[in-house]
Amino acid sequence: MDGNGAELKAPISPALRGVEEINALVTGVERQLDQWAAATTAWITDSGKLTGTAVDKFIRPAVQSMLQAPDSKVVGAGFIATPGLLGPDRSYIAWWQGDDMERVDALANFSPQSLSRYVKSEWFRIPVETGKPHVTGPFIDLLCTDEYVLTFSHPVFNGGTIAGIVGLDVTAQTLERLGLPLLRRIGERAALVNDGGRTVICAASDIDAGDIVTAAEGAESHAVGRQFRILSAVGPAGA
Amino acid sequence: MSLSPLGASRSLAAVFTPIKSGGLVDEVCRRIELAVETGLLVSGQRLPNEVELAGALGVSAVTTREALSQLRGQGLIRTARGRSGGSFIADDALPSPDHARIRLLALTRLQISDLGLHYQAIAATCAGVAAKRSNDGDVEALRTYIRPRAENGTPATALEWRLASSEFLLEIAAVARSARLARELLRLQADMGTLTLLPFGDTDFCNRTAELSEAVTAAIARHDQASAEARTKDLIHMTTTWLLEEHSSGQSH
Repeated sequence: MDGNGAELKAPISPALRGVEEINALVTGVERQLDQWAAATTAWITDSGKLTGTAVDKFIRPAVQSMLQAPDSKVVGAGFIATPGLLGPDRSYIAWWQGDDMERVDALANFSPQSLSRYVKSEWFRIPVETGKPHVTGPFIDLLCTDEYVLTFSHPVFNGGTIAGIVGLDVTAQTLERLGLPLLRRIGERAALVNDGGRTVICAASDIDAGDIVTAAEGAESHAVGRQFRILSAVGPAGA
Repeated sequence: MSLSPLGASRSLAAVFTPIKSGGLVDEVCRRIELAVETGLLVSGQRLPNEVELAGALGVSAVTTREALSQLRGQGLIRTARGRSGGSFIADDALPSPDHARIRLLALTRLQISDLGLHYQAIAATCAGVAAKRSNDGDVEALRTYIRPRAENGTPATALEWRLASSEFLLEIAAVARSARLARELLRLQADMGTLTLLPFGDTDFCNRTAELSEAVTAAIARHDQASAEARTKDLIHMTTTWLLEEHSSGQSH
């Protein structure tokens, strides 16, 4: 298709195309997670009593295909059970990271104290409490990757009862590599921000990922995915 | 001035340092020791069996068996036979102040103060950046680690104080949102190991830690970078000073 291929539609500006492409990037990740959550809910609902081994056997291949897919954006993914699903007061973590499928903190499955750290985290707590998908971050993930990441997490159910979450991690670096060239087309001070106004990527060199920014006067704001926005221009950091 | 790529760069030497081979058994042991040190695995707790442990850690069953046998030799775990058998964390496996004191006295003053300086540099930088990037949620999270949560009125133990204090510093790194600094802080805390347990046996030290942590949190909340850095330096300096004094009095006996 050449550049003039729009027959009936008005030609869209490079800026608007940039917004659409970043939106496609984020919603692509969200849709991948939605589908995985639906499959996991169906599997749990159809299974009888669950064991750790059965969970691993179901979750691991899905994670492997996500992590090892060509051009994968995902650095880690897995499932965490709500306490009680596998046994009384017992949670369970089945999470892997990296191309070589490194298992995250499997020792935690034998230690109630360390499992409580996962259960308290925002990316577990919020989807479990609200029954809705959630994006956490960007934040420093000291439990898994030790990287600056966004965690997309989605509740899964056993019939109608909450059973846990599936989630995946995308590094802020990955988003910068893919999103920064698109963001530059929107404006030299355009930024992708989370719902707390914290920068995920910014075209301006004086703003770092993690800085809190505000929209410049007259800037446009576009919704991206479920929780992000693109601001066409931002003010200085900390303003 | 041009720099020769093979010139006398001091960091080049590190590239050609011999790589340790083997060591997998030691690594498995170190992980379990660390889990006990930090209170993640507690006395009486059953460890996964050899096969589960091997699978979890991604090592062979032979390696696991050797590691368990080494830990048994150290008295960190005990093994029971029979139906309800398995390997358990030993009853006296709590991180002990006595062991920590022995370790402290085995160090030189130079090692303690140098480790303290490194810790101070990393933690203070984290605090400065955290002051720039904090929001209300971050400050609220920091506050939860200023004092260990008292469970039904019993005073917190030294172990709980130490845990809260190391979590407080890690939270500052998380608020700073620097992956490299956070990883460096984790490594430093592992290097300090049980040493940091010692000062928390001292109630006065616990209270001063909580006061300084409040001051750090307040500075981060009002985005005062200079003060956040200075108070964090004071916080680490207090630990280093305590350890150096303990070291002196221990050696003069």
